[in-house]
Amino acid sequence: MTFSNVPSLQRIEIKKLRQGDNLILGFSIGGGIDQDPGQNPFSDDKADKGIYVTRITPGGPAETADLRMGDKIMQVNGYDMTMMTHDQARKRLTKKNEDVVRLLVTRKSLEEAVKNSMGGYQRQ
Amino acid sequence: MPVDKFANMEEKLWILEDLNMMYIRQIALSLQDSDIQKKIDHEIRMRDGACKLLAACSQKDQALEASKSLQTCSTRIMAYMTELQRMKEAQIMQKVTRRSSDAGPMDDRHPCKGKVAISDLRIPLMWKDTEYFKNKGELHRCAVFCLVQLGGEIFDTDMVIVDRTLTDICFDNTIVFSEANPGFEMRVELYSCCSEDDYSTGSTPRKLASKLSSSLGRSAGKKFRSAMEPGPCSPVGNGGATPLLLPVPSVPGPKYHLLAHTTMSLSHIQDSFRTHDLTISGNEECSYWLPLYGSMCCRFAAQPHCMTRQMMSGCLKVKQLGGEPQSWTKVYGVLKGTSLFCYHRQEDVEANVEPAFTIAINKETRIRASEKDPQSKVQNICISNQYGGEEVTHTLTSDSREDTHRWMEAFWQHFYDMSQWKQCCDDLMKIELPSPRKPTPVTPKQGSLYHEMVIESSDDLSTVSDILARRMQELELRSQLGTSPNWMSLFEENNPKSAGRPRPCTSRFSGHSPCTPHRPPRSPASPHRCPQLSLLSSDASLTSDSDSHCSTSPCSHRHAWPEPSSNFSLLSSSPSRLRPRTFSLDAKLSTLRGRGFRGGGTFQCSCQPPTSSLLTPLPVSSRSPRSQRSTQTTLSCSSSTSSNSSSNSEGRHSPESSEGAPFSRPSPARRSLRNLRARLDPRNWLQSQV
Repeated sequence: MTFSNVPSLQRIEIKKLRQGDNLILGFSIGGGIDQDPGQNPFSDDKADKGIYVTRITPGGPAETADLRMGDKIMQVNGYDMTMMTHDQARKRLTKKNEDVVRLLVTRKSLEEAVKNSMGGYQRQ
Repeated sequence: MPVDKFANMEEKLWILEDLNMMYIRQIALSLQDSDIQKKIDHEIRMRDGACKLLAACSQKDQALEASKSLQTCSTRIMAYMTELQRMKEAQIMQKVTRRSSDAGPMDDRHPCKGKVAISDLRIPLMWKDTEYFKNKGELHRCAVFCLVQLGGEIFDTDMVIVDRTLTDICFDNTIVFSEANPGFEMRVELYSCCSEDDYSTGSTPRKLASKLSSSLGRSAGKKFRSAMEPGPCSPVGNGGATPLLLPVPSVPGPKYHLLAHTTMSLSHIQDSFRTHDLTISGNEECSYWLPLYGSMCCRFAAQPHCMTRQMMSGCLKVKQLGGEPQSWTKVYGVLKGTSLFCYHRQEDVEANVEPAFTIAINKETRIRASEKDPQSKVQNICISNQYGGEEVTHTLTSDSREDTHRWMEAFWQHFYDMSQWKQCCDDLMKIELPSPRKPTPVTPKQGSLYHEMVIESSDDLSTVSDILARRMQELELRSQLGTSPNWMSLFEENNPKSAGRPRPCTSRFSGHSPCTPHRPPRSPASPHRCPQLSLLSSDASLTSDSDSHCSTSPCSHRHAWPEPSSNFSLLSSSPSRLRPRTFSLDAKLSTLRGRGFRGGGTFQCSCQPPTSSLLTPLPVSSRSPRSQRSTQTTLSCSSSTSSNSSSNSEGRHSPESSEGAPFSRPSPARRSLRNLRARLDPRNWLQSQV
């Protein structure tokens, strides 16, 4: 049983869901270099202007792919997301010609560790 | 020991001061001018009182006021002393002249005095825009007031606390000087004092002070040091002109410093607002510094006595114009302002009856004495005016030569006054006398112009929420009757923006919902709806309390959204509804339709869109998403304060609900709407659905 606050990197692959004209991922993002980082409830460092996952739609593709609320998105399909405005980030995630997005996220590891230690808890 | 030396210094200053007081009193006594003596005594007493109060008081406001009184009293004493010295000199000079030669002709004309008033003082400030809008950094506050001096009179304005939320310093006082010569010089001085607690240490010993200032942070230390150094920033606060005749007692407490001054005279008088330049003393390093724009606006007016008082009155005889040469009309003439009023009888003046006629006496008038009338041996006075292109002459005479002489004298004096008071005699300027002090109304923090322009829709929102809540109740009642209020159409099928819409919609639902384009199912559906919403709200309150991170809390916890089909029974098309929609509303509805396809299983958080769809028609200009959040919960038939208060904590999250339903991409129009709203409130933390 390890408890540590070292953030861990996760690679998450989300297959977009087609809904009519739209391709959706099923989560919400917050943050950006043009936003006020002090209002980010998920970041440890209140000066962190990165892109964070603020909400996961239950049953959506993101949840299926094990993306979690509070994850910080570092890369999307190889593109760095740490120095982006909010709108740029959103656009990068919602490219119409991409069916799959591969995200590199960091997540607070303590949560991870606790969950692992409880053994057997697996999100669907 | 430095502390002892300092104390010694203080004592010496006090002694010096007492000596000064005695000297002043002596002069006053010797001049046998009891008037000034009384005034000086009065001021000295006020001053002592202010010193004691300053030493005794603990609250900052009191200290500032007491310090202001002290400053005013000191300045007044200085003024009286200057006057005394002048009088003393004049006395001596008179003695000298009398000894040397006969006094010269003492018939120099003196212009009449007048009332001079200054009001509505406004001094604009020039903050750096970063300081102003972003509201960063500590709030630097200063207490300011103005001293206005004319002749021997000094008046002070009320004290105003200034910080960077103000765009101007405004003084509401009207200051009136009753007896002013036309050659007056009015001096306006702006004093300011830094109003932070730590810096009111006038008497800290030097060594301690330097230690403190070096140990504090850089900017704090700078301020501290400058507040205490008697450098160029902090002159002995007596206007700087005559140093140390009256040193200000070094009492602990806030000290005012001269920040800006200007001198105004007759040429500045105008019957309207004007801007005057200020001379600023001090610089940015001083603690009492305020970024002044460099000018001052005020209303500066004067009423010379010749305009307001009767300068001359008496019986006259006026020759009729164009009539027989020897017919004279007896009138009672009153010379006032720019006219000679001629009344039939003297009693008419008090009775306020209109004068028989009026002869203009102004700068264009020419008055001369004519030849002695052979019969009455009295000179006539001819007054000529230009009316239009014509010259009209009135001839007056009086009963005796002395009277005529006095009238001529009065006319000459009047002309002289008008030449001295110049533009003040063109028309009577209005001076509002300061009304007896009303208790100052408690104004909310004097905000800035910019903040006033923001549309604060919280009021609107609460009334709207109330209205909606009431309508929800109405809906319940009315649903039994089978009718439904107009706004129910919000939950209904989209009205065609283009003609082709309704039909495809109905076709979609035909397979799924039990109700088709006809109305009745609405009644069972609608009461169904309300419980849903209340369920939603209770969950909302629960989740909002427990999990502040979860911005759209209802969704994550609710699984019990009923079959979409029954829900969507509401969405049966009704082309008769002609309520215009907003774009994001369409998003919601298209989502709901889409969800209707998939059935209830997969996506359960359709709770979000319908309620949030109600949000969009509401005031878009709302600054904070908090207001949206509260609307949402209020709409849900519950006014649980917990949800409202917790919604405040999550209210920082941006208007996400307007993003559209969970799974639809907002159209460009909706995006622009959202962006606009986000941009309206720079403190939003934007969230976007992807």
